[in-house]
Amino acid sequence: MENVDSSTDQYGGGIRAQFRMRFRQWVNRRIPPAREVTLDQRRIFIFPSRVGFFFGCCLLVMLIAAINFQNNLSYGLTFLLATLFIVATLHTYANLSGLTIRALRAEPAFAGQQTEFQLMVERSKQRHHYALYLKWPTSSETLVSLVADDSVNIQLHMAVDKRGWFNPGRLLLESTYPLGLLRCWTWIDLDLRAMVYPRPVASPDLPGLATDTPDGAAAMVVGNDDFYGFRNYRKGDSLRQVHWKGLAKGQGVQTKQYTAYADRSVWLDWDLFPGTGTEQRLSHLCYWVLEFDRRREEYGLRLPGVVIEPAVGEKHRDRVLKELALYSKEGWGR
Amino acid sequence: MNILQQVPRNALVWIIICQFALVAPHAGRLPVWVLAIYVVAVAWRLQVHRGRWSFPGRWVKVALTILSFIGVYASYGSLIGLEPTVALLLTAFALKLIELSQRKDAYVLLFLGYFICITEFLFSQDLLITLYSLVNVTLITTALVALHQPGEHQFNRGTLRLASTMLLQAMPLMLVLFFLFPRFAPLWTVPIKSHTAKTGMSDFMKPGDVASVSQSADVAFRVKFEGEIPPRSTLYWRGLVFSRLEQGIWSALGYYDVPVKEQRPGKVATVGEPMSYSIIMEPTQQNWLYGLHYAHSTTPGVMHTSDYRLFSPVPLEVEFMYTANTWTDVGVDTVLSDWRRMTETKLPPVDNPETRQIALDLRATTSSDEDYVALVLDTFNREGFVYTLRPGISSGPHPIDEFMFQSRRGFCEHYASAFVFMMRAAGVPARVVAGYQGGEINPVNKTVIVHQFDAHAWAEVWIAKKGWVQVDPTAAVSPLRIEDGLEAAMEYEGSFLDATPLSPLRYRSIPLLNLMRLRYDAMTYRWQSWVVGFDSKQQLGLLHSFFGEISGRVFATVLLGSWAMVLIPVAISLLRKRDTRPGSPLDKHYRVFCERVARLGLIRKPGETPAQFALRAMAAQPRFSDQLRRITRMYNDLAYADATSSDGSSAEVLRKFIRAVASFKPDKRMAMVEQTTSLQK
Repeated sequence: MENVDSSTDQYGGGIRAQFRMRFRQWVNRRIPPAREVTLDQRRIFIFPSRVGFFFGCCLLVMLIAAINFQNNLSYGLTFLLATLFIVATLHTYANLSGLTIRALRAEPAFAGQQTEFQLMVERSKQRHHYALYLKWPTSSETLVSLVADDSVNIQLHMAVDKRGWFNPGRLLLESTYPLGLLRCWTWIDLDLRAMVYPRPVASPDLPGLATDTPDGAAAMVVGNDDFYGFRNYRKGDSLRQVHWKGLAKGQGVQTKQYTAYADRSVWLDWDLFPGTGTEQRLSHLCYWVLEFDRRREEYGLRLPGVVIEPAVGEKHRDRVLKELALYSKEGWGR
Repeated sequence: MNILQQVPRNALVWIIICQFALVAPHAGRLPVWVLAIYVVAVAWRLQVHRGRWSFPGRWVKVALTILSFIGVYASYGSLIGLEPTVALLLTAFALKLIELSQRKDAYVLLFLGYFICITEFLFSQDLLITLYSLVNVTLITTALVALHQPGEHQFNRGTLRLASTMLLQAMPLMLVLFFLFPRFAPLWTVPIKSHTAKTGMSDFMKPGDVASVSQSADVAFRVKFEGEIPPRSTLYWRGLVFSRLEQGIWSALGYYDVPVKEQRPGKVATVGEPMSYSIIMEPTQQNWLYGLHYAHSTTPGVMHTSDYRLFSPVPLEVEFMYTANTWTDVGVDTVLSDWRRMTETKLPPVDNPETRQIALDLRATTSSDEDYVALVLDTFNREGFVYTLRPGISSGPHPIDEFMFQSRRGFCEHYASAFVFMMRAAGVPARVVAGYQGGEINPVNKTVIVHQFDAHAWAEVWIAKKGWVQVDPTAAVSPLRIEDGLEAAMEYEGSFLDATPLSPLRYRSIPLLNLMRLRYDAMTYRWQSWVVGFDSKQQLGLLHSFFGEISGRVFATVLLGSWAMVLIPVAISLLRKRDTRPGSPLDKHYRVFCERVARLGLIRKPGETPAQFALRAMAAQPRFSDQLRRITRMYNDLAYADATSSDGSSAEVLRKFIRAVASFKPDKRMAMVEQTTSLQK
């Protein structure tokens, strides 16, 4: 299977790599990236599958049998199957034609874990579609049919190992329905990318922790957070903090408020880990971001050129993690 | 396992159906144990599917393979030849099911299935077999489609429909290829059928042989005359000539029994226009071809022997079609060579003394060979000889004496044999000829159908200046046999086809059945002459009559043109917009109604009930309020109320509803209204 993975390929020179690059450029021109793609003859490729070639060999044997036995009905059956092959091209093509593939979202993930891509396949109101096989070069695979429903949602998972924006490459959508003799496929770039946070790597302690208070040691108190009251639910609050019992009693949606001591707000600083490499530092920072978020203590981030004031909550965490993920990766855009 | 390699349950069911359907026409030719393997294989695979048993291990598979080879060898005595090969294929086809776990196994199995369809044609190209094979091909294709419908676990009629549709779409192109594809000569020799029974006449004849052939109601061959069909009593289809009598058995001369310079047939001076006819032989596994006296054929693959028979160098394994010309008024071998004379008068030295004696006595009373022939025939006629299918068995050392002077009961071979014996005893060159006499004329297509029960034996006598002359001693005993056929001749003893009570030929007296039989036979003839007998010569003729001079360019144009003509409509029908959203006719028509209302700028909101939608539409477009109310009421009645309403039964209301929707054309009406108002201004 031709691989169009654009993120991992090595341009090592050589005719093969050259050819691949040219091919990728051609595909890019032919099927430009888009969040939503409807398949038509510009985007669908069709060629006999391996089974089709095997079938062709069988037909050849049948033809030789017909010639050698001078048997007209054997000729007839051989020709019937040969033309069935030809008719099958139209049916195989029709199985892909008119489908719309829509990018839904890409879940952020930590490096070394799996990210999830969500997309939707929708049919034009024409016919049934069977056995659609979808896969990104390194993702999990799935097989769906559109028979009773007009559309289907699909989740594909793939492992990511580098922080930053992860581009999954082109999505392969293929089908050999109805006879398996022909393979009809397309490569579409859904313009989807997943945010990959650094891999969290624990560091035993946080030497020289920077805090707002002059006395840095005070902030290092580890303990349970104190519950101090309720407030009305705001969008973005964690569901874990919703006061479900109160909701059941009909008190409306309220969020339990915990507090860390204000003087404990922490600065996660680039300089906390002297003598380690960039990725190592980001990994440690990521670990501590998660740790403080778990403890629901306020923390801020200080990277060269980036400062985020201390705060707490999911939105804050995601913002901080995004900065970690994209640190010095400006080329990728934000 | 790769998700693409899973075999849906539906596909497994279709594959098992295919297996039984494919083995059925072969069943009669196969050893019983092969059929048993099918049952075992299906049972095993179903148990695997239910999780009770497991797939066979590698050694079990190896053992099964070796065992099936041994089994085929034990049953056929060889692994080479068509029948053992087909038996091996069918065994593999059954065993493959046990190890079917992935889609790639299913491909192998199903493609093998297509191949088995072809092997069936090597045994029979019958019309019914062809139709049955088409059913089989449809089943295999259906299984192939089902293999690509993951998650379909219920029987799905659409699977079968798609396979049939695709095959129907392939049919026209298949015909184009069939008639255009050049017919090559065989690339190499192929295994022949070694285990199929020979049918019809054999190359020797002892008393009782022809009578046993006559028990069969099978068709031997069909003949189509170019002009008028000659009277039945003159239709003597020569197939074999028996010149040698040894120990009571007549046999034909082998090729090497004839001296080299006698091996080619003598030159025959023909006079006038010949009678032309074409014959389609059913497969016999033998070499003889049949023709009237004296026949000459120009069909490739037909040879002529020194005793003026037609002959095929290869045994007829499938239907064979040839044409022949016959000149009736012709002298054959007018000059007889010494060797020929010696051979055709030779008798064993000492047997049947009484017959020899009477032959010499009778010859002495006549002046010429011709008178002698007439006298012997007269003797048969007068002396109370009986023509019967049940002559009894003679066991003595002098069977012809026994027949001539004691039993006087015999079938045609007894008369032919005794007659030729008497001729030779008197020194007149004579020989026994075997073949068929008469035939049934099919009024539907004016063919002559010759059945096995038309088998007959008669004689040829050499008369100076005239050459070989046909003489039928049976005609002297039972003229009815020659005029009206065996059934009429045997009416008095009821022995016609008494071994095959179910043959349709026994029910010829029922007009409807007989007409159906004859019509089917006419179809078979057309099938055989157009499809089975289609060869490069007919192909050239056909192409020439359609396209004149045949060149590569014409060929390519025709091929491409016909492909375009077939494929473009298929493509259009496949890719055009069509609404296959699920729903009852009611829902579909309501959807049409909503689409029409939408042309007025009113789009039904999700969750809006039909009544709410109608109210909103009526408020916005009061002009159509009557129609909107009426259609919506009918829809609600049909969808939510019980079957009947004031308007009649539900089917009737549905019809009314459909009509009302069809006549609801708001845009056109609106255009008309606007037109009229503008005209009034």
